[in-house]
Amino acid sequence: MVYITSWDEFVERSAQLFRADPDSTRYVMKYRHCDGKLVLKVTDNKECLKFKTDQAQDAKKMEKLNNIFFTLMSRGPDADVSEVAGKEQTEAQPGKKGRGRKQ
Amino acid sequence: MVLLQPDPFLNELTSMFEHSTEKGTVWVTLKRSSLKSKVQRNKMAAAGEPLEYRCLIRATNGKKTISTSVGPKDHQRFQASYATILKAHMTSLKKRERKDKKKVPGADKKEGGSKKPKRA
Repeated sequence: MVYITSWDEFVERSAQLFRADPDSTRYVMKYRHCDGKLVLKVTDNKECLKFKTDQAQDAKKMEKLNNIFFTLMSRGPDADVSEVAGKEQTEAQPGKKGRGRKQ
Repeated sequence: MVLLQPDPFLNELTSMFEHSTEKGTVWVTLKRSSLKSKVQRNKMAAAGEPLEYRCLIRATNGKKTISTSVGPKDHQRFQASYATILKAHMTSLKKRERKDKKKVPGADKKEGGSKKPKRA
């Protein structure tokens, strides 16, 4: 049972694991509110990667990972993930407000 | 194992989170599946039909298990709602402390004021 310490490594290896064997790879999330702990596991029944945390910032990162997995699983392992660029496109519009001249 | 539609599944998931705040765990599993038996899959592959894959999502609190299957069309909407539910419930995780923000030690109420010199 390998606990990965680096988030980025966990994401990288999970994606690799999934692409190598999409039919047997699964992603499990366990959350305990009373302990304030979150554990993520990705396995293809041969190899297992785990990540545990108690940090709120990791919950946000996990949401991005969820998006990646949803995309990969429903569209197929060759789906273009690009860190779910959809969100970034909507945020990329800078709000160019006119310089309000108060007169 | 109860197979639900995505929306009732989300409702049930929410109530699972709510019920397990004091004690208990919520597990959520994501797996890709075509939801067809091996025989059917082989037949489809032989006939040249493209297999349609869906994302199988299972949730359990140890006692009850619910599941749903999400296809590529509904996955965007589902994942947005799912993310909202998670954000709303994962409140017991620690906030990141960059610097140890020492709260103002002035929380001590004015103790000096208790000593009032008695003046005759």
